[in-house]
Amino acid sequence: MRVLQRTIWWGVAATVLLGVTLGTGPAQAAGAARGFNASAVADMTGFDPAKFENPSGDVVKIGVLAPFSGDAASVGQIYWATGTWVASDINRRGGITVDGKKKKIALIKGDTMGKPANTKQAVEKLCLQDKVDVLWGTAGSHLTAIIQAEADKYKKLHLNSGSLSDTLMEGKAFTPYTFQHIWTTHSVGATLAKFFATRQERKFYILNQDYVFGHELAESFKAGLKKYVPDAQIVGEDFHPLFNKDFAPYLTKVKASGAEMIFTGDWIPDSSNLLKQSRQMGINLPVAGIFLDDINGLIAVGPEGSKGLVFASELLINFQDGIQHKWHEAWKTWAAPYNTPLYEWLGSTTGAYAESLYWLLDAMERAGSADAEKVIKVWEGDEWTGLIGQKLTMRACDHRVVRDTYVTEFVSPNKWYKDCAFMDKITTIPAEFVTLPQPKDSSRCK
Amino acid sequence: MSPETQMYLAQGIHGLAYGMLLFLVASGLTLIFGMMGILNIAHGAFFMLSAYLCVTVLGATGSYWLSLLIAPLGVALLGILVERFMLRRAQASGMGHIAELLLTLGVSLVLAEAVKLTWGTEGLQVNVPSALAGLVNIAGLEYPIYRLFIIVLSLVVLALLSLVLFKTRLGTIVRAAVSDPGMVSALGVNTQIVFMLVFGLGSWMAGVAGVAAAPILTVFPGLGDQIGMDAFVVVVVGGFGSLFGALLAALFLGELNAFGIQFIPKLSPVLMFSFMALVLAFKPTGLFGERE
Repeated sequence: MRVLQRTIWWGVAATVLLGVTLGTGPAQAAGAARGFNASAVADMTGFDPAKFENPSGDVVKIGVLAPFSGDAASVGQIYWATGTWVASDINRRGGITVDGKKKKIALIKGDTMGKPANTKQAVEKLCLQDKVDVLWGTAGSHLTAIIQAEADKYKKLHLNSGSLSDTLMEGKAFTPYTFQHIWTTHSVGATLAKFFATRQERKFYILNQDYVFGHELAESFKAGLKKYVPDAQIVGEDFHPLFNKDFAPYLTKVKASGAEMIFTGDWIPDSSNLLKQSRQMGINLPVAGIFLDDINGLIAVGPEGSKGLVFASELLINFQDGIQHKWHEAWKTWAAPYNTPLYEWLGSTTGAYAESLYWLLDAMERAGSADAEKVIKVWEGDEWTGLIGQKLTMRACDHRVVRDTYVTEFVSPNKWYKDCAFMDKITTIPAEFVTLPQPKDSSRCK
Repeated sequence: MSPETQMYLAQGIHGLAYGMLLFLVASGLTLIFGMMGILNIAHGAFFMLSAYLCVTVLGATGSYWLSLLIAPLGVALLGILVERFMLRRAQASGMGHIAELLLTLGVSLVLAEAVKLTWGTEGLQVNVPSALAGLVNIAGLEYPIYRLFIIVLSLVVLALLSLVLFKTRLGTIVRAAVSDPGMVSALGVNTQIVFMLVFGLGSWMAGVAGVAAAPILTVFPGLGDQIGMDAFVVVVVGGFGSLFGALLAALFLGELNAFGIQFIPKLSPVLMFSFMALVLAFKPTGLFGERE
């Protein structure tokens, strides 16, 4: 009996010891749910994305596919800031254990320039010349579709943190090598519709950019309203050209329509110009969207102009969350171009990008290998705790994430910025209301 | 006034304001492209650069009015340097418009990268000056003062330009030099300096437009791309070299944009280009073209 008790005691002790050891990596200690552990984040003093240097030797290589030049270069900058943060954190903790040894993380830029031809070239260079282990990108579903096809061709893991299209992981487009961490347009529409079910607004005007994403988003919002707010009215719907200059004619229609809320999927600079021009025209209607957290645009309209905006995201990091303050403290010493208010706090985009990388690296460590096939086995169906303690599930059959989503209304004053309204109370929309149904056309999902 | 009438009145004024902004950009291009015959692809980039200079001057001085003075002058100086040290050599190569096109395309690409290096890639914001903030009541319609200011500014620039071009000896020389440089040169006028100054003046006008547009738009590296294209449409529709034609074309296209969005929003992005195609089909020199 005593022998049995001693055996059990040593077994428990060994489990705890093993858990503490694993806790130095991106995952939490064993015994707790697998996931992100803010207290395990390294001391990031002295970290600066502008001064990131790749480690030498045997490393895990991540190819960062983003527009590092061209009109959308600011997006590449955001990818780089978050990618270098995660890589530096993991590297300061000694790296991840793959192939039986600790390996640090190296990032290699693949400049898509926001163009299909350049994206294909960049992927080929990363796969054939740089021999990366993972492709990580990118904004623009048309570019992500290219990366997916190439990832499948070269059998490389591909993490999509930037393209929201509902159809990327369906039908013939699906490839087991791609994982879509970012939420989808269906979830965006359902999230905001579910949120508005609890509010007074019933008259909505949809104003989106005139391309596939803008149209998909409009349809998803309308479908969401039909389901959750059946008495809602779409009092107008317009699609404007990308990089539109004059919003005044659209805003005049919005005003005449009697709308109580503008719904927009516009991203910068269109989102900022829409907001700025509406406030200049004395139209102070609230706007709901998913790219309204552009700080420069919010500051331009001030606290009054940004008050009441409704912002939805797949991740909203609270002011008091542990990683938030580690990021903010580190940011204070960053050099240009990362020393602007855009990077001051870990936002919804930067946070989601970082979360996707932390999860990938944790799956890789648990697979004990950077080999795509082995990581796929671990990541499919994986349950993981995200940056704010939320539950994430990587649905096995279509590699999309089942998760709660979040909505907030910007208020002033707030804890974040004194020159504009920003997040306050966060409303959680449970996953069951917003998750994109499994694709019907896939035998994997039956 | 009924709400419906107010809406149409608002769209009319929006068209006027946007049209006048277009004219401000296109008038400089009318001088450079229409009168001098130089295919200046960098005109939109000059517009964008001026908006960035506006951000810097505003940041340094806090005065929008100083930026309206200084930023266009900076762009004019750059225009003069481009003409003197680059375009003149390109023209001497004998490759005609191809050399100008490639050179100015190169200048626009260099400027786009230069602003990223200097000001970063994030969108920057300029606020409406406090003296022009707010709304004014026009027959019951609340309208932004700043948009009316754009109309007035464009009219002032138009008046000054018309005065210089058509009522002064300098204007006579300019018009004669662009029409027959050899003859004017034989009369003892240094036509190279005239061309350089005209190019600088055209660049200055792009600069004024850039500062005027900055408070209503986000300042970012792609700012000049679309407006540069629209300005070309104005010059082509109005007729090469015709300031009056550019004014009418800009106003018409501005109204076409506003009322297009009101009545046929799905087609509004192509209305401007469709109209240009029609004009070119029936009058290849443009509505008021003075030269081919």
